Amino acid sequence: MHPLLADVRKLLWYELAWLVAAAGLAALLRLDEQATWTGALAFAVPLCFVWSFDMLSGYYVSRSQPYSQRRWSVTLGLFFGASLLSGLVWLGAGETWNALGGEILTGKPFITMSSAGWVIFFAAGFALYLLSLLAHDVLVAFETVQEAARREAESRVLARDAELQMLRTQINPHFLFNSLNSISALTGFDPAAAREMTVDLAQFFRRTLALAERERIPLGEEVVLSEHFLAIEKRRFGAKLNAALRVSPEAALCQLPPMTLQPLLENAIKHGIRQVDGGGTIEVDALVRDGWLHVCVVNPVGDDGPPASGHGVGLKNIRERLAVLYGTRARIAWQRSATQFSIEINLPVDKEASQ
Amino acid sequence: MTALRALIVDDEDLARHLIREYLQGHADVEIVGECENGLDAVKQIGALAPDLVFLDIQMPRLTGLEVLELTGRRSGVIFTTAYDEHAIKAFELHAVDYLLKPFTKARFDDALARARTLHAPAAGAPAQAPALDALVARRGAPLERILIRDREQVHVVAIDAVECIEAQGDYLAIHADGKCHLKPQRISEIEEQLDATRFLRVHRSFIISLAHLQAIERPGPDRHAARLRSGKRVPISRSGYEKLRTVV
Repeated sequence: MHPLLADVRKLLWYELAWLVAAAGLAALLRLDEQATWTGALAFAVPLCFVWSFDMLSGYYVSRSQPYSQRRWSVTLGLFFGASLLSGLVWLGAGETWNALGGEILTGKPFITMSSAGWVIFFAAGFALYLLSLLAHDVLVAFETVQEAARREAESRVLARDAELQMLRTQINPHFLFNSLNSISALTGFDPAAAREMTVDLAQFFRRTLALAERERIPLGEEVVLSEHFLAIEKRRFGAKLNAALRVSPEAALCQLPPMTLQPLLENAIKHGIRQVDGGGTIEVDALVRDGWLHVCVVNPVGDDGPPASGHGVGLKNIRERLAVLYGTRARIAWQRSATQFSIEINLPVDKEASQ
Repeated sequence: MTALRALIVDDEDLARHLIREYLQGHADVEIVGECENGLDAVKQIGALAPDLVFLDIQMPRLTGLEVLELTGRRSGVIFTTAYDEHAIKAFELHAVDYLLKPFTKARFDDALARARTLHAPAAGAPAQAPALDALVARRGAPLERILIRDREQVHVVAIDAVECIEAQGDYLAIHADGKCHLKPQRISEIEEQLDATRFLRVHRSFIISLAHLQAIERPGPDRHAARLRSGKRVPISRSGYEKLRTVV
């Protein structure tokens, strides 16, 4: 659809401009003493109103000749042909309206114009339409470029999202081998614990794999998965790692992209708990308020040294992923003080997706 | 055979437990200490001077390789790691023995036996020192931070904060955040460890950070100097200028 027809406000401005043009035409006719003010206006205004829509058809003529497959002889012929036709329509409409409309409304033609005048009238219509075609051609070219840029950005986001999706379901080798080493150690003195840890590890990976093709899951499912993950990490880090998960029943039902919470916990351990001598507690709060889901993760951090690399990248990925899925409606913010790191995600509660 | 005094360094309790268990069968090894992080390991290695260190690579505060760098220890080390592509590549490159977690008792005994021969080298046995020297100097991944030991303290300088490095005799003067740290190292060695896309050796005695470079000045014909964001000026040699022109 023509961009002007799709936007009422722009269309009104466009018609306003034509009203001015019609007044200009009427003034010309009046100056030439070919009509009274009333006659000139009665002639020019309806004609220009109809003509303004005819001019917009240039958009479709231009679009029918995409730049990539354009043969200039054909395009030039088409443009001149269309302009000629439009000029004739303009002339015909002008003469008909002048004679018929004038006869019906006032008993005589609105204006009296010489043959030479009508030739100029036709030439103006021809030239105006050609001008409109060229202007539309520029507009279409601009649109094409914008469209290409938009499509490229979109495919980039999609590609990265696919990559993230793959990474999410991939096994973190560091986590896997360390867990296996812990199990190996446990078998020597606590076989029951070794067995429990094996089951936790299996459950964690089984649930992770099951998420691969799902776009949204209830927060409750992610919490179960995260609990298996935390159980494994607690075996590895012992008393250093504590976690308090407070998820309201309402929040547990909310839909969100899979693997939103678990990476936050992984970060909290890797960059937080592990770096602090005595360890600490990861606090997770999830609740629903005024149609928004709030998920907040707080963990202690060590006081020395710069944070290990990779932290910021992971958070940026989450932010971009949420931006793709929710647009500007998703909010994610984090801050680091001397002793703690906190991150909060706010998402609209999507009722439609909650089935 | 003399008893070997061993130190176990790993931040995971269960991992240390496993090594203790594996060592039970070796009456000639005495465990003198355990460390939970790299900083502690630096202190304990200095205080206890153990014959053998079981050293994890991925640890809080300091990595295993940083512990070696700071302590200058170049023998009697058995590395353990779960997964670290860069470190493993470096181990392979320099033929340094390492234990991949999880490991069997047989593999552990094997590594221990090798460490024993290195500790009391028979004629013709290779020494570990050159391999570890090379390992510390070229660890696979570009430096993320620079460590400076100042008696009992370890300063950590983020690589982004470093604006330039200057050779001063046997020391490097590392300029970062308006401070200057001295570290005993050769400039050619740190040049190799730095990310070549972010740092450039512009002079025999100077390396600059391209992120901190503000302008190139010309104080005289055929003479150039780099002005850094902090206002500091660093001389640029002729060949340094050529290199700089290709990247800026």
